[in-house]
Parts: sequence; structure tokens; C-alpha cells
Amino acid sequence: MVASPALQVSGLTRSFGGLPALAGVDLELRPGEVVGLLGPNGSGKTTLINVVSGVYRPTSGRVELLGHDATGQAPERLVRLGLNRTFQTPRPFRPLTVLENVQVALRHGRDAAQSPEEILELCGLGGQGGLPAESLNSSQQKRLDLARALATAPEVLLVDELAAGMRHDELDGAAELLRQLAAAGRALLVVEHLMGFVRQVTDRVVVLNAGTTIFAGSLEEASQDPHVVEVFLGA
Amino acid sequence: MLWLFALIAGVLFGLYYGLAALGLNLIFGVMRMVNLAHGDVIMLGGFAAVLLFDHFGVNPLITVLLVIPPSLLVGYLTYYLLGRRVQRSRDPEMMSLVMFFGVSQVIEAVAVIAFGNNEASITSAVFGTRPFSIAGQGVPGAWLVSAGVGLVALVLLFLYLYRTSLGRATRAIMSSPDEARAVGVNPDRISALTFGIGVGLAAIAGILSLFMIGGTTPSEGVDLTVTAFAVIVLGGLGSPMGTFLGGIVFGLALMFTQTYAPVWSGFAPFAILLVIMLLRPTGLLGRTVRSV
Amino acid sequence: MSSVAQRLREGAGAVGRRPRRQMVGDVLLVVVPPAGFLVASLVYNNQLLLLTMMVYVALAQGLNVIFGFTGYLPFGYVGFFGAGAYGTALSVHFLHAPIALAVLLGGLAGLLVAALLSPLLRLTGAYFAIASLAAAEALYYLISNPQLTAVTNGPYGVNLASVYNSGAAYLAAVVLVGVAMLCVVWVRRSHFGMSLRAIRADPLAARLAGVNVVRARTFAWLISATLAGLAGAIYAWAVSVFYPEAVFDLSISVFAIVFALFGGVGTVLGPLLGAVILYGVYNYIGVSQPQDFQLIYGVLIVLIVLFLPNGLLSIRLRRLWRGR
Repeated sequence: MVASPALQVSGLTRSFGGLPALAGVDLELRPGEVVGLLGPNGSGKTTLINVVSGVYRPTSGRVELLGHDATGQAPERLVRLGLNRTFQTPRPFRPLTVLENVQVALRHGRDAAQSPEEILELCGLGGQGGLPAESLNSSQQKRLDLARALATAPEVLLVDELAAGMRHDELDGAAELLRQLAAAGRALLVVEHLMGFVRQVTDRVVVLNAGTTIFAGSLEEASQDPHVVEVFLGA
Repeated sequence: MLWLFALIAGVLFGLYYGLAALGLNLIFGVMRMVNLAHGDVIMLGGFAAVLLFDHFGVNPLITVLLVIPPSLLVGYLTYYLLGRRVQRSRDPEMMSLVMFFGVSQVIEAVAVIAFGNNEASITSAVFGTRPFSIAGQGVPGAWLVSAGVGLVALVLLFLYLYRTSLGRATRAIMSSPDEARAVGVNPDRISALTFGIGVGLAAIAGILSLFMIGGTTPSEGVDLTVTAFAVIVLGGLGSPMGTFLGGIVFGLALMFTQTYAPVWSGFAPFAILLVIMLLRPTGLLGRTVRSV
Repeated sequence: MSSVAQRLREGAGAVGRRPRRQMVGDVLLVVVPPAGFLVASLVYNNQLLLLTMMVYVALAQGLNVIFGFTGYLPFGYVGFFGAGAYGTALSVHFLHAPIALAVLLGGLAGLLVAALLSPLLRLTGAYFAIASLAAAEALYYLISNPQLTAVTNGPYGVNLASVYNSGAAYLAAVVLVGVAMLCVVWVRRSHFGMSLRAIRADPLAARLAGVNVVRARTFAWLISATLAGLAGAIYAWAVSVFYPEAVFDLSISVFAIVFALFGGVGTVLGPLLGAVILYGVYNYIGVSQPQDFQLIYGVLIVLIVLFLPNGLLSIRLRRLWRGR
């Protein structure tokens, strides 16, 4: 018995001034799994996250979140329905303290069972609650982005390049955290360029090229798929 | 045949309003700053024409050419002394707005001190006293001259933007500052020049406003800025061609109000701006101004 | 390394310790300014000057609520002031409301105009600023329109001599200063204020934290407009006879913006200090020509933007920082 999908994306397209950034993406995320989203630069990974999280409206297609139609909904509404995301370039509330960053989300999002201190601890920011967010380094800011997203108790979490720029000792912690979140029943979509990290974290991968899904399956199969190899090696 | 007169007057005034708003839109397009002192520059252009006419008998059409060099100089200085600094501040959009609001207050105050708080004008007889006839409607010659100058300015601006290398660099910055910089365009130089052109266009519009509005007073700057802003929002921000379209729509709306409900003609420009902002904030052919 | 951890722990301790001391400070911030104006009226006999200063304290703080905490700057802020003045006058003339109620209705008039204009908050900052200016001008042309003489007395102004009471109006202004301070202290300290600061820092990230951005901004906008409406109402009561161009004068917006910016927007004390210092200096020098202070304030705005964008209080903080 396979669990029903937490997030189902079908035929999603989005154009900017006539140029298609997404040209028909299909994707399914089930509770408790971590799916890697791969693809060369400009293949539409971040655009997909932006459309699914309500930053952009899709041109056509459908997004279903936990059984609700979530197509083209406003971000704050999607957050209430149980979706959140992080940013490739982290966007904490810079003038607020680390703790306040999480408190804002705790107050307005869905009810998270944890206290703000626990969430910060989980993301490796324990004891730093009193610091202004702008004083954090970029890796810490990424984790603060993640902490803020977790404070809204998401069932579906889209993680945009968490590992990029992290030191080696930080990578293992980050991987462990993502696995832990999935083990608690959340569905994660992870965009990442570091293949080692992808192998460590994901259950399976989806490959995008030129705005369309060209592959869905295990990472092993992907590395043997001629089309995927061609796209990545730029033959 | 009131409506026919309103129609013809609306188009002629529309060309004038398009010219009055063009500089504001150009500066916005290149620098993403709203020059809130724009209306005050229009006012100063009017005073320049009146002073030159009263003291030296200079024809206002000559003044149109005379204001160009000082305008370029003022634009250069304003950009390097104020614009560039504020562009590098923490919140350039709001801070530039506040700063140019201050500049607007300074210009208005200096104008009152220098010229007194009175209306200044030139008799429209300098362009002949006999009204021209268009489709059977008598139209003052001065209106035709103003609309003509507006058209010429538009054509010249387009030749500049599409046929010269500086103009092409300007358009590159308008569409994407980062890419323009990457291909070697010097944004400071273009911005300073654009600021000068914007100031010059405003000053020219000010000279014509003597004949379209009937005179100039030091305190009219704010109203003119809001009017010009209404026109560029109507036509689309960052779109010079749209500005003229917006000007004509605005001119028609104003002339029909003045013809059929003259008591409300002071109210109309502001109401029009509000309605556009609320109903169609992208303008007739422009980009979005909504954030959420 | 251990010293960093130690400092962090001390920092966390300070957060825990702060509430009681902070609460005392907050109460003082709300109580002392109105008390000061009460005492001032006993030792200084130009009551109208003090009352006008209080009106500007309320306006500067009201502007602070919307500009300082959301980054939205309404150039047409004077529109709410005028709406408050006329709301009060019409309540007295047509509803025969007692003056205390009429003043509250003036505040309500500001609130209603703001509610009507709240769709403007969907615009980005610069467009909002100019649209609000257009709204204030439109309101002025509406109220002063000769065709509405039967209702607003059109361009001929308003006479409230029947309810004139300078002592009571002064007390009302004292209360208004307290209310304005209370509003800003509350916004500064509350979760609502924290959301506003988050929105200001990054609207999109705030939405992803679940904040309803438009609703939060609208709420700040309504508080801000109500304060201006009350200020206009009390001003109308105190001067008793006024023309539409006097209560819709753009220089009222200019004053409020200059005072708030000078002291420092987003702070509790800044706009109060800005209004008291600058309005005091302006009267002390006795600038008699309006264009002279327009020139001075215009130059001041430019200088503040270029050299002191965070206001007077930022100097104090910077110096304390270095002194440590």
C-alpha cells in the first residue's frame, strides 16, 4: 500500500514574456520521502519551487497539496495548507534577531509542536537566538531560513540548495537533519548540485531539462540513462 | 459641437501633457527614481520664458532651445551631487522619493522668494491672434505650436533612443542595468545625461505651459508632478511611447470634464490617477507596480 | 571561543531580564510626554503654540506607525488630518454631537478615509506615496467644491465658535499625545510590530512565514490615519474657524515627515523629539515668511536623507556604542 502523494504537480508550465521557463513538469512527492531535483543551470529547478510555493502563478498545469487544489494560491495560504520552502540565497529578516525570525513564523504559520528554541537547536543555531540575523554567516542564514520554514510545521518542504557553501563538517549535520524530517513523515524536495549530498539524502531523483521532466527514478538509474548523461555532460 | 471641440482640444493638450511627463518617465526608466521635483522644474521653465520675454523680448520658441544647455548642466550636477549618493543608500526607492520631495520644497520656496507668489504669463499673441480652424472648430494658434513642439520632442527623443549609441545604451540600462554594465555601458554617464534630458524636457514643457495652462506660479509644482505621474502611470512606467498615449487619454478626460463639468476640473486629475492605480496599475502598456 | 559562548549566554540572559525594566521604561514613555505638556501649559502662556506642537507630535508619531514600521510613506498624510477636522465640524453642525463625541467622530473620519484607500497598500512604496498625495488632493477638491457648499460650506470654511473651549481642547491634545505614544510603544513591542518589521525587511519571506502582509499593513495604516484624524479634530476644535486649504495644506505632511525623519523613524522617542525640537526652534527663531521655513525644511530633508538617514537617535546610539 503506497501512501497518497503529499504534493502532486502535473503539466506545470510557466513562461516569462513568451519564453517558457517550465514547459510541462510532472512530479510526485510522498510523505516520508526525500526527492532530489536535479538538472543543469537554467533547467527550471528554482522556477519550479517558485511556482509551487506561490511566488509565481503558473501559466498552466495543476498543483495538488495534501488533497487540496493549490494551483496559483498565495504563499501565505500555501503555508497554512502545509507547504514551505527555503531560498537559494537565504532571506532571513535581517534586522530581526534569530529568535524573532522564528517567532514570526511560529505565530502566523500552522501550529508547530516545538518551541522556537527547540527549532533553532534542531537547525544547529542553538544559543544564537539573541543575535541579529544579519550577523550570521551565509551557511547559518540558510539554516535560519530552514528553521523559519520548519516553524510553520510544513508537511511538504522545498529545500533550494541548502548544502551549497557549507563546510564538510556542516554537510553531515544538514543531511542528517533532512533525513530526520522525512522520518517524521514529511515530504521533501531537495535541489542540490553536490552529488555526494544528493546520494546521502535522497530516496530517488527527478531530472529537469529545459523546463520539462526528463527522468524520474533512482540516482543509480539516472546515472545510466543516456538522455540524462547527455544533458549533464552537454554532449 | 461641444464634444468635437473637447475632442480636438483633448488631443492637443494630450501632446502637451505627454511632453510634460516624458522626462519624469525617462528618469524613472533609467534610475528607478521618481523625481518629485519634476513639476517644479516645469514651473522654472515657465519663469525662464517669462523673464527672457519681458526683459529681452526673446520669443518663447527661442527659449525652448536656450533652456537645453543649462538643463543638461543642472541634470549632471543633480545626478552626481544627489542622485548617485541616494541610489547607493539602504532603501533607494523611498529615500530618493523623500529627498526629491525636499528638493521640490526648496525650489518652490526659492521661486517664491525670487519671483513672488504671483502668476507670471506671456500673452499668447506672440503666436498670432487669429484662431486656426480644425474641422470647423476655432483653436488658438498657441495650442497648435505647443502640440507641435511636443511632437517634435517625441520624434527627436525616439531618434536619440533608437538611432544613436548613447540612446541604445540608455535603453539597455532601462531594460536591465546589470547586463548593460556587463557589456561595458557606464551607468553613471548615462544616468547623468538622462537626468539632464529629463530636466530639459520638463523645462520645455514649462515654457509651453504658459500657453496651455495660461501662466505659471511657484506653488504649482506639486500639482504638475502629480499630473505628470498620472500620465506616466496611465501610459506605463518606463515606456516613452506609452507616455504620449497616456497624455492623450489624460488630455481627453480633462477636456471633457472641463467642457461638461467645469467645477470638477480641479478634482479630475487626482481622481483619474487614483482610479488607474486601483484598477489598472500596469498602465495601458507597461509593467507592474503592484508588490503583493 | 569560550568567551563567545559566554557572551551569547549573557546576551540571552539580558533578553530574559529585560521585560520588567522595559515595562517601566514603556510606561514612562507613555506618561511623561503628556505630563510634560500639562506642566508646560502652567509655565508658558502661549497655549495655542503648545497645542499645535502636540498636534504635530501626534502627526509625527502617526506617520511613524506607517512609515517607520512598514516603509510606506504617505505624502498625502494631511488628507486624514483634513478629514478629521471636517468630520468634527460636520458632526457638530449636522448631528449636533457634543464636542467630545465630535472629536472621536473626527478620528473615525480619518479611519474611514483610510479604509476606503486601503487598496492603495497593494502598490509598491513609491506609487503608494504618490497615490496617497493624489488622494489628499482629491479629497481637498471634493470638500472645497462650491457644488457641495450645502454640506461642507465649500471653499468658505467652517466656524466652530459655538463649541469653542480652549482649556478642554488643550486637555484633549494632552490625551492625544499619550494615545499616540501608547500606539507607537505598542507597535514597537508587540508581536504585531515584529510582523511589521519582518514585512519591511522582506515582504515575500514574511508571506512564507505565514504573515498576511496586506492585512498587517492595512492595520498599521488605519492606526496611523486615526491618529491624524484625531489630531485634525482637536486642531479644528482649538482654532475654531478654518478654511479647507488650511487643513489640507501639504506643508502639514511636510512637517510631520520632517519631524519624524529628523528624530528617527521606527523609534519610539525620535518623532517626539523631532516635533518638539524642530517646532520649538521654528517658533523660537520666529520665521515669519512661510517660504523661509519651507526653504529651511526642504534643505533639512535633503541633508537628513544624505547624511542622517536614521535620524537624530542614531547619533546617540552610535556614540554610546563607541563609548563602550
